[in-house]
Amino acid sequence: MASRRRMLLKVIILGDSGVGKTSLMNQYVNKKFSNQYKATIGADFLTKEVQIDDRLFTLQIWDTAGQERFQSLGVAFYRGADCCVLVYDVNVMKSFDNLNNWREEFLLQASPSDPENFPFIVLGNKIDIDGGNSRVVSEKKAKAWCASKGNIPYFETSAKEGLNVEAAFQCIAMNALKNEPEEDIYLPDTIDVAGGGRQLQRSSGCEC
Amino acid sequence: MDSDDSVTDPNPHHPDPSLDAEPATVEQMGSLTLGEAGDAAGAERPVGNGFLPADFYAAAGEIEVVEEGSPVSGDLAGPSSLGGPGACRERSGRGDALPSPSSSGYAGERGSSGGSSEIEEADDRETMLDDWSRGKRHPDEDDGSVSWRKRKKHFFILSNSGKPIYSRYGDEHKLAGFSATLQAIISFVENSGDRLKFIRAGKHQVVFLVKVPIYLVCISCTEEPYEALKRQLELIYGQMLLILTKSVNRCFEKNPKYDMTPLLRGTDAVFSSLIHAFSWFVFSNPKPKALVIWNPATFLNAYTCLPLSYSTRQAASAILQDVADSGVLFALLMCKNKVVSLVGTQKASLHPDDMLLLSNFIMSSESFRTSESFSPICLPRYNPMVFLYAYVHFLDVDTYLTLLTTSSDSFYHLKDCRIRIETVLVKSNVLSEVQRSMLDGGLRVEDLPLESSLRSRSLTTPELSSSQSGIGGPSGLWHFMYRSIYLDQYVSSEFSSPISSSSQQKRLFRAYQRLYASMHDNGTGPHKTQFRRDEDFVLLCWITQDFELYAAFDPLSDKALAIKTCNRVCQWVRDLENEIFLFGASPFSW
Ligand SMILES: Nc1nc2c(ncn2[C@@H]2O[C@H](COP(=O)(O)OP(=O)(O)O)[C@@H](O)[C@H]2O)c(=O)[nH]1
Ligand SMILES: [Mg+2]
Repeated sequence: MASRRRMLLKVIILGDSGVGKTSLMNQYVNKKFSNQYKATIGADFLTKEVQIDDRLFTLQIWDTAGQERFQSLGVAFYRGADCCVLVYDVNVMKSFDNLNNWREEFLLQASPSDPENFPFIVLGNKIDIDGGNSRVVSEKKAKAWCASKGNIPYFETSAKEGLNVEAAFQCIAMNALKNEPEEDIYLPDTIDVAGGGRQLQRSSGCEC
Repeated sequence: MDSDDSVTDPNPHHPDPSLDAEPATVEQMGSLTLGEAGDAAGAERPVGNGFLPADFYAAAGEIEVVEEGSPVSGDLAGPSSLGGPGACRERSGRGDALPSPSSSGYAGERGSSGGSSEIEEADDRETMLDDWSRGKRHPDEDDGSVSWRKRKKHFFILSNSGKPIYSRYGDEHKLAGFSATLQAIISFVENSGDRLKFIRAGKHQVVFLVKVPIYLVCISCTEEPYEALKRQLELIYGQMLLILTKSVNRCFEKNPKYDMTPLLRGTDAVFSSLIHAFSWFVFSNPKPKALVIWNPATFLNAYTCLPLSYSTRQAASAILQDVADSGVLFALLMCKNKVVSLVGTQKASLHPDDMLLLSNFIMSSESFRTSESFSPICLPRYNPMVFLYAYVHFLDVDTYLTLLTTSSDSFYHLKDCRIRIETVLVKSNVLSEVQRSMLDGGLRVEDLPLESSLRSRSLTTPELSSSQSGIGGPSGLWHFMYRSIYLDQYVSSEFSSPISSSSQQKRLFRAYQRLYASMHDNGTGPHKTQFRRDEDFVLLCWITQDFELYAAFDPLSDKALAIKTCNRVCQWVRDLENEIFLFGASPFSW
């Protein structure tokens, strides 16, 4: 079946406390939702396998706590991420305003090689509340912001109802597929023994 | 009640309060949050940044976290932790109930683990059998599997972005959550400028080795000393370098997302056979005969030679020297893990670790046996940055010639060299002598000369002595290992009948390991001699500038007699040195 090798994708979920990051993850992985709010402490890790066409992906999802005091983890957490999911609550303006901070924080910490094209996705969560009557951030506004940041894919979700959650995470894997690097040639150095034993002969190294 | 986001364990005596978990989902969720026993469940943790128990990172400098039985209460996860070996708890992804792994394996485990606060340990015997013969390590398992959790010793390699690279057991991808947890723990401590050395959690020890951008972790309940486990991680790292060189670091520098697993594809057997050499025995297939493979080289920092008459070894060395002069960096003739001869050009010397890793690589890779091979390999102690090229050819089932060169296009030259060498080895009967020596085995404590007047006796013509007694050697001597410091070589005796059982051998191996660790512990100064008596053995260790001797006696042995016997062992080894050691291979020995 899967002809190409499996890919492991490190996915970081960021956003203000209470916007529903943990709920989205639980909905996606366990198809469960709870109304009770429990602050995430530190970070949670979760894995889920996805198949797209003939490719198998393992999503390694990092759900971090929103609280300031956990940000000390910084670099270590963000390092080597393949995708970053930014979440806000459509009913809370502040959580939307903060998306920019989260995005910048991420780029700063993870310092990806090509920040302009780093794959983000944005989720506007809790669209179920009050039948949408209490929402303060319009879809149009959110989409405009996403467009201004290099056309970030945007999804409106409800972790409670399971709306769009699957589609959003599916998009992560699709994104990674697009950005998949070429299979690299691994080419370490060799030595020239005649030239004194341990001199390096620089080869081109591995291009990755 | 679905309130719990806290992973604290309200009851330290029940290892897994949440085994009543609902039917399982396949996914796992690991949580980095570490609970302190007794912390109120449900509340956000009040302490510090709430991340790890305060004691965990309070220590400055290198962290050696919490000795067992110490008064510190924050013993990571503690014996009360979930079956999860080590410090990290996993937690249900359901947002309900108490900390719980979400895998199906758990429903059934409750009954078996009952109220015991310890993880049940599976006997690794059968699994070793599997591993050894197929180089597989239960790819169906993950950190939610009961069987996975029961394994006595786990080894992991991961990148510093938390991506799994290698796991001894289970599927790396399925363990992605677990390896993220490990990375988070390591990084968290690193961020405060400290270095995490190990964590003790009940019977488990979690040992970390950081080789940025690579992390290595061992989780073990084998009670081996920290130093021993750390050395094993170093060797695993070395094995990885032997296959890839340190140039992998450049891949991570360029691209922290780099996924290294494809580079190690097909090398499972190499790692599992190395890991087996750390332990004490495996069963050889197909006969259920216990084959002792514990390899003292894994902790002695030395290699061992196949006993051969001086002239036989000389003949082998002479022809190897011949080809070495024609542009071969090292020429190495080995029989299993024993050296027949080794020759190097220039002043270069081959480090015992490199020899161990090289011979493990060759012996565990089936492809070397079937044809002559030419393969890039790196000798990490020689130069971790570069590839050398190894020409490998098996001359018989156990005996193989390795020619190392720096040029990638010398296959045909080395093939010619091999043909020349093989011809000479056959003609001068070296190969048949090698096979005979393999059959004869090594030194037997029963053959230890009783009188100094018998000294001149040669190993290869053993006289009938006390060997028929079946009670080991004189004065209750059961076993010894002698390491020559200048030669980087050791010799160890065969197992005498009192330690013929695999369980005795395991105890002996562990005892030596502890003895070695305590003798080399910087904290307590250089020991010259040590005498220990426990219910299994009397152990004697003697270290001088020239050698180290480790000897095991009957537990009822007399101390004075044991010391006397050790002197005789040393004399005996010196008398036989031309047959059991290789001279000329190390620059020090000239
Ligand atoms: N109505 C509704 N409530 C939600 C939704 N997502 C999360 N919640 C609730 O919002 C609160 C915070 O959710 P949580 O996932 O813990 O947020 P986090 O801090 O971002 O991880 C919880 O009480 C959830 O039950 C949603 O889509 N709809
Ligand atoms: Mg949360």
